[in-house]
Amino acid sequence: MSQVDYPATIKQLILLMKSLPGLGPRSAERLVLWLMGRGESRVGELIEALTSLEERVAICEECGFFQEKGHDCLLCHDPKRDRRLLCVVEEAADILKLERSGAYSGLYHVLGGKLSPLDNITPADLRIEEMIHRVTELHTEEVILALGADVEGEATANYLADMLRVTETAITRLAQGMPAGGGLDHVDEMTLYQALSGRRKL
Amino acid sequence: MLSRLFLRDYRCFATATLALHPRVNIFYGRNAQGKTSLLEAVCVLMRLQSPRTSTKSEWIRFEASTSLIEGTVNDVDLRYAQNATVRRLAVSGAVCTRSDEYLKNTALIVWLDHADMNLVRGGAEHRRRFLDFAAAQMFPEYRDALKAYERSLRSRNYLLKRDDVIPWKQVDAYAVLLQKHGSVLRRCREALLTALEPHVVAVQQHLSGNTEVAALSYARGYEGDDLAAVLHERRAEEERSRSTVAGPHRDDVTLEINARAASAFASEGQQRTLCLALKIAQARVLEEARGQAPLLLMDDIFGELDKARRQAVLTALPAESQIFITTTFLDWMEQTTLNGHCYEVSNGAVEQRL
Repeated sequence: MSQVDYPATIKQLILLMKSLPGLGPRSAERLVLWLMGRGESRVGELIEALTSLEERVAICEECGFFQEKGHDCLLCHDPKRDRRLLCVVEEAADILKLERSGAYSGLYHVLGGKLSPLDNITPADLRIEEMIHRVTELHTEEVILALGADVEGEATANYLADMLRVTETAITRLAQGMPAGGGLDHVDEMTLYQALSGRRKL
Repeated sequence: MLSRLFLRDYRCFATATLALHPRVNIFYGRNAQGKTSLLEAVCVLMRLQSPRTSTKSEWIRFEASTSLIEGTVNDVDLRYAQNATVRRLAVSGAVCTRSDEYLKNTALIVWLDHADMNLVRGGAEHRRRFLDFAAAQMFPEYRDALKAYERSLRSRNYLLKRDDVIPWKQVDAYAVLLQKHGSVLRRCREALLTALEPHVVAVQQHLSGNTEVAALSYARGYEGDDLAAVLHERRAEEERSRSTVAGPHRDDVTLEINARAASAFASEGQQRTLCLALKIAQARVLEEARGQAPLLLMDDIFGELDKARRQAVLTALPAESQIFITTTFLDWMEQTTLNGHCYEVSNGAVEQRL
């Protein structure tokens, strides 16, 4: 007895959807079926949006953030930004978080991930050469390593600090500790431990 | 104190409900009926790990997809569900996504079984696991430091093995992390051993009738305070061995009886007593440090002790501890003096007998 299944085209689309992060086989199937049924009118919009993504959006060769093709990077070419500071982040999305905090107005550099030998991510996979090149070109006075506090993030920070030593620029990293506006009872022990060891004199 | 335990599709139990006694709970039955699984379930509920296996899907009952352990600990409801890939935790009915939040609500435990002999006779990894299990319950920062240390070590060892020419700059980036987390491990293990020593000595004396003097000391896995510097000095050695040659993962505990190495010179009986002394000392230290007596999970260790030793062990345990004992026969137990419950475990069913 032959098994009844979706036509090959639909199966192919489901497979494609499934390969997107955060989607399992069930959600992928549901999305495709929705697109063929009630969501039919949205298919055109989706196609257009996907094409223009490729046509109009580029990645800035300097900082690694997104920019409109044919335009200058909003971050790298903003005369108001402090060109003596360079903040290194793992992913482009991290830039937006830092920008929303309003605490920083220097330049950025996106690494594109973090070192992880167990996942086979080596220095060659990250934009480290570009970072050192920029620090030398821009005569950066301070490099701020805004990487995660997990094992891979810390190892990457240590590695970058080592690589940057030749440029003789100041290297800092984000502090770890108390969340803003919270009492002691809302903080877990590990955070409190780090906050205590990184305490400041008043 | 654990007042209620409920299991569904856990090991050989389809369902089991137990109302537990605050002092002594004895599970008896023939071999392979599920007695140890009951103790294991208590351990999993309290520590999220099993002393028997590291494959969590193993404890899902054959033919079932999800296993469930529930318990009421100091009037808080805990719930642990595990399917083939995912575990779900809940405290008082509310889902808990962080294991350290969950663990704050669990009771302390000490596990005693035959494999404790490895503490004296086995390799250093058994003694490190003993330290880890106790320290993780004593020091809030220990568990995270251990996890981070192990992950850093795995990465570093992999880097040392991966290429013909070792990428030292990357390797060194991990040495800094080993130093950072390793110093937490060392500080906690030092404090733990200092707290354990007087109790081990006292309990060994008590159990042996004042004839044996036990001693334990910390054999550190690296000299000095700066692990990163030590590793830097021993680079040539690492180049040959292609693995991390120093650090807390090389820690050991030296055990002695009457000033001679316990593994080589002590008799079988002396070794067994020393293992008991270590576990009883662990219970006392946990009680001192955290202000609550731990649950004692004793897997089949009473049957082989003579009456005097059995009595000595029972009096050496923290008086407030809730005790769980498995055994295949009850002859050794003076039933008139039992202050507790007795359950018969037979083919995946539990029934209270006393």
